Amino acid sequence: MPKPRSSGRALRALVLAVGCLLPSLGSRAAAPLDAPGFTPRFAGYHALVNATVVPAPGIEIPRATLVISNGLIASLQSDGPVPAGARAWDYAGLTVYAGFVEPYVAQSLAVAAAPLASGDPATDQRPLADEDLGPRFFGVPGQERDAGSPGPGAFTRRVTPELRVATLYTPTPKTLESLQELGFTAAHIVPSDGLIRGQSAVVSLGAASPNRAVLRADLAQCVGFDPGPTDGTVPAPYPGSLMGAVAVFRQTFLDAAHHAATKAYASGHPEAGLSPPFNAAWDALRAVTAGQTVLFDAGSVLMMHRAAQLARELGLNHTAFLATGQEWRRPDLLAAIGGPFILPLAHPALPKIAQAADWEDVSLDQLRAWDWAPETAALLERAALPFALSTHGLTERQEFRKNLAASLERGLSRSNALRALTLTPAQLTGLADRLGTVEPGKLAHLTVVAGDYFNPTSRVHAVWVEGVPHELPRPRRESPVPSQTATNATTQTTSTNLPPFPRPALARVARAPLDLRGPLQRPAAVLVRHATIWTCGPAGVLTNASLLIRQGRIEAVGTEPADAADGALIVEGNGLHLTPGLIDCHSHSAILGSVNEGTIPSSAMVRIEDVINSESPEMLRQLAGGLTVANLLHGSANPIGGQNAVIKLREGAPPDGLRLPGAPAGIKFALGENVKQANWGDRQTTRFPQTRMGVPTFFANRFTAAQRYRQALQARQTDPSLPPLRRDLELEALAEILEGRRLIHCHSYRQDEIVVFLRTMESFGVRVATLQHVLEGYKVADEIARHGAGASTFSDWWAFKMEVIDAIPYAGSLMRERGVTVSFNSDSSDHARRLNTEAAKAVKYGGTTEAEALRFVTLNPARQLGIDARVGSLERGKDGDFAVWSGHPLDTRSLCLQTWIEGHQYFERAAQETRTQALREEHTALLAKARNARTGGTAEPSAAARARFFQRAWESASHLGVVDCQDCVLQRRP
Amino acid sequence: MNPCLPPCHLAVGLAIGVLLAVPTVTPATTLLIRDATVHTVSGPVLNSASVLVRDGRIAAVGDLGQPAAEEIVDGRGLHVYPGLVALTTTLGLTEVEAVRATRDTTEVGAFRPDVFAWVAVNPDSELIPVARANGITHAQTVPLGGILSGHSAVLQLAGWTVEELAFRRLGALHVFWPSFDLDHTPKEKAPAPDRWKSVEDQERDRDQRLAALDSLFAEAEAYQAARGNHPPPVLPGTATQRPAAGAIPAWEAMVPVIRGECPVFLHADGIREIRSALAWAARRKLRAVLAGGRDAWRIAEELAAQKVPVAYEHVFTLPPREQDGYDVQFRAPAVLAQAGVPVSFASGLDRFAASNVRHLPYEAAQAVAFGLSADEAVRGLTLNPARALGLDDRLGSLEPGKDATFFLCSGDLLDLRARVLRLWIEGRETSLESRHTRLYERYRQRPVPASP
Repeated sequence: MPKPRSSGRALRALVLAVGCLLPSLGSRAAAPLDAPGFTPRFAGYHALVNATVVPAPGIEIPRATLVISNGLIASLQSDGPVPAGARAWDYAGLTVYAGFVEPYVAQSLAVAAAPLASGDPATDQRPLADEDLGPRFFGVPGQERDAGSPGPGAFTRRVTPELRVATLYTPTPKTLESLQELGFTAAHIVPSDGLIRGQSAVVSLGAASPNRAVLRADLAQCVGFDPGPTDGTVPAPYPGSLMGAVAVFRQTFLDAAHHAATKAYASGHPEAGLSPPFNAAWDALRAVTAGQTVLFDAGSVLMMHRAAQLARELGLNHTAFLATGQEWRRPDLLAAIGGPFILPLAHPALPKIAQAADWEDVSLDQLRAWDWAPETAALLERAALPFALSTHGLTERQEFRKNLAASLERGLSRSNALRALTLTPAQLTGLADRLGTVEPGKLAHLTVVAGDYFNPTSRVHAVWVEGVPHELPRPRRESPVPSQTATNATTQTTSTNLPPFPRPALARVARAPLDLRGPLQRPAAVLVRHATIWTCGPAGVLTNASLLIRQGRIEAVGTEPADAADGALIVEGNGLHLTPGLIDCHSHSAILGSVNEGTIPSSAMVRIEDVINSESPEMLRQLAGGLTVANLLHGSANPIGGQNAVIKLREGAPPDGLRLPGAPAGIKFALGENVKQANWGDRQTTRFPQTRMGVPTFFANRFTAAQRYRQALQARQTDPSLPPLRRDLELEALAEILEGRRLIHCHSYRQDEIVVFLRTMESFGVRVATLQHVLEGYKVADEIARHGAGASTFSDWWAFKMEVIDAIPYAGSLMRERGVTVSFNSDSSDHARRLNTEAAKAVKYGGTTEAEALRFVTLNPARQLGIDARVGSLERGKDGDFAVWSGHPLDTRSLCLQTWIEGHQYFERAAQETRTQALREEHTALLAKARNARTGGTAEPSAAARARFFQRAWESASHLGVVDCQDCVLQRRP
Repeated sequence: MNPCLPPCHLAVGLAIGVLLAVPTVTPATTLLIRDATVHTVSGPVLNSASVLVRDGRIAAVGDLGQPAAEEIVDGRGLHVYPGLVALTTTLGLTEVEAVRATRDTTEVGAFRPDVFAWVAVNPDSELIPVARANGITHAQTVPLGGILSGHSAVLQLAGWTVEELAFRRLGALHVFWPSFDLDHTPKEKAPAPDRWKSVEDQERDRDQRLAALDSLFAEAEAYQAARGNHPPPVLPGTATQRPAAGAIPAWEAMVPVIRGECPVFLHADGIREIRSALAWAARRKLRAVLAGGRDAWRIAEELAAQKVPVAYEHVFTLPPREQDGYDVQFRAPAVLAQAGVPVSFASGLDRFAASNVRHLPYEAAQAVAFGLSADEAVRGLTLNPARALGLDDRLGSLEPGKDATFFLCSGDLLDLRARVLRLWIEGRETSLESRHTRLYERYRQRPVPASP
């Protein structure tokens, strides 16, 4: 009913002041009169009587009289009178809750793709959206796969912050009804496509016109991290990886800020003659700067955590998060994320698996996800974090109530469940003053249930939306419930006297993953004695020696008999060998999503640190091979790859806890077949460079751009009156290289490309930190040594592609003889488990001494990574990182018994077996539970719910080995 | 049959690279290795023992006193091992994996009994000398693709021509057990919705593939019954015989398998596939060898009872299940051996495996670190694979009457640091040079360049 909001406020004041005195008369006089032929308007004056009203969680008013007038709640009283003129509704036996608010309904605002260019480089010079910015490295004009926003906007059509649900909201009766049936009276409609998706709106779920339905426009700017195209475009447009999606997010917000600053500058300095271009995307993001909420659909708990950090970096103060239901993986991070959370109750269901044998291959991770899902709400409740419950992800929305019941069985309290349906989503949507409780003055949004909502068999009888009742059709086969005309008050059920739930509570069998991870021992001090110690430092190999570590640092190492320091844990090393923790200078383990942002030739803006997968099982396997430090690198799909991250394998720690503080920043570069797309199939032939001729050309171009960028930065330091400079994340990383603040780790094979690359970088005054792989490095070892680059190579891989046909296993020894600092890396989640025997190959091929060979996987990689002040050798003052071996560390028949990082024991063989045993028992118990549940006669789950069983979280998707390769591009591209 | 290489061959260098791959030198008719640690494999390790070779065969092993011999090799401080036999490789069929023109590993079609690996082996493959240099003297070369991919050959890694390399042309028939994995991706999320199949349809397909395989063998049995035992099957490349009228090449190729003259390698890794393959092999009474065998440790007792040898390819692949432990595949050979399963080590058929066949002894060594006895480990590199191929009358151990195919090693083979020093195949000393040694010699002699 049209009525100015101000009169509603006046009404509220009236009600509060004098109670209920025919409050509708005044507004009825002002109501418009419909023309003859229209059904006359209803008065909108109602009294619900004899209902049990739950005005807010934990409060219950029996036999209540609830008066509604003009869409607002006028009064609420136990046994109150029915005002004259109000239409009375006998709600005996019914429970009335504040109208539920659905916090997340996805709506596609898909923008038609801008037509791609003709592809003829000779003629195609069509301007594109945001043509001056964004990564324009596609090689030759017309090769873009994403022409950007169809009108003025961002460089990719997946960045559309200017889109508004409020202008495009078109509810379908089916959606409305399916939400009403669950008791929802309002919903937060959220754009669902792309990276920066647009602005959401809160709507009433009534039948009113879209104009009236919108309660609040532009509530939140919605951000997702879905990598890659959704339409199978080949070649894929940027960004094509999770880390690329994060980079686009950061750059876009920086660009918006820059745009605003430039506009301000232009108006303050008319003499500068600046005319900042019109850009709807950036203009829309000014709302965020002004306090609009940013709602992240981050896709996983680790990425939610990262999103929260990025939001702080960018100064985004109001955030909300779409949870995944897999927060059990890392509940310790939830407090740091903070919320509020929107938790979809889209639980996975057990799939139909015909053959018993097929169950044996159902993974522990899948079973855990299934068993944990109903407990996610309780997890958030225990952490005292705000959350709202959603039907998002449920193709069959009626499963919501079943899943809600399951959540209650698994520890969600009823009052928090109600809060999560009412007050919290009302607060989250900024409508707490109008929704969320049954209070005079609030909108008459009510959810009316025949009984207790939390019993899934209790039917939602009606929802009231802004004072308009929507009675819901009764399913045919349902037993009769008290109708609104029934007066038998004795049939009332109250929420304190529940019928039993239709299925037995199934307690959780799955463990919290963190229970079986993390350090085994954390002594303040540890003393290893009577061991053979390979120091890898100047002291060489010490027999019958001791190592004392206190507070994580090496206090003493030597053959002097060491006394057990007070309280130190003693490790008897009789017959055992000790080495520094091994260091892998080239790893792709423990990365979320693709290791390549291979869509563009320079992806210097992407960072591995955004996507460290602390949950990877690779970490344990590698610890069990004595590894303690890994250099996580971007792949080699492009000449300039992404920024690396050096981690310690502190299994169990979250991503931040893995990073090695003080490790110099670095970046991956690459040469040769991969960057010229030689093995990518016949369709990938248009990106620059396509030959080894073009590779140095590309570097020279980007470093020249970086030099200019630096000059522009410096100019602003000396002259602050210059117009603001756009912060360019790609050039920023390259400028850091020019300033000596970022190390280059360059994938390389052939001798010609190696020498030319070194010369190219010398021309920019840059020393290359490491040449990675560098399989023909032995042919130009003198040139490499003179340049001062390290060589981080494979021990003996060869012949897997044309450019490695001349690789030889003697290369490590030969380069070392010529004065190059050599390391052996893994580039493989397998080899990373046994770098000690990789090192032994330098002894076998080329006769490197044993002590020196061991340095190939300890001190030398530490030097190459600039972390040798802390790790790489067992010397006083360095980190207490070491591995204990059953015998000579270069003997294939020896095995690693213990691995320690900073004086904490992270691996010990017997203890690991105990943990493994526990995992085995858990898996068996979960399979048994699944078997019982399948024969338990519960309702058939939907196909969609069963399909969810096979959905993998980001954290576990990389378990599937997709990033495990010797040479990532080669294997990832069939 | 082959000329002695000039001693200056190293200096000739890469210019005649192909010639340098010539593998053998003229054999002495008698050869004595003396005072070495002799790993007989079939018997105990003999310290300070000798091996006497006559006409390409082992004449005697043990404490032989001072027999006369044309060539005497002082083996003091050194170890003698029988040549290593590498099962399931693609050696000779592939050169540079990323370059399609150099790959002859994979034919099209689901059932192809009449595809034979030996005919496509490149005798001058650079990969062969590299494998040989680490003690590999024989390799089974396997055709890939489809379910029944054809016949592997056993190569002797020395010879001028493909016929000389083909030690056994019909090594085994290869069946790659159809995967039991079902794809549960819902149709709306399938990458190729037009090819999406329901789980039920996939199960049906799975059953149908197995039925088709079984049916093929039933048909082959009928063919064999109809043709009788004579004449022997005529297979490609055997030009001395002509096929009988009415012979059909594909069914002729099945004849040796049906007669039990040729083992069937069942390639299966998952426990479901392994169980299914074993049950089938038992029912069809095949001479089965389980290849791959990732999960074989889970049914080690059954394998032992069924006397099925395993070519274990997964020491160095990543375990698929967390709850099995980080080291499950390091321990698997020990578990199998303990149960009495003859385990061989195999580096597998993955894309880059052919260039790394030389890693074979390291897989055995890793298994030793995780509980396998050293004797069993060496057996898994020699006698067990020879037996799996039915070649233990000639290969796999140092016993009188067997081929004089062995090598001298600077130390224990299971310690990676040990080097293969000299190697003989059928009594002929064979070069240990390779592309690697040639490039090494060439570039270590590069003078230090003048400053630019």
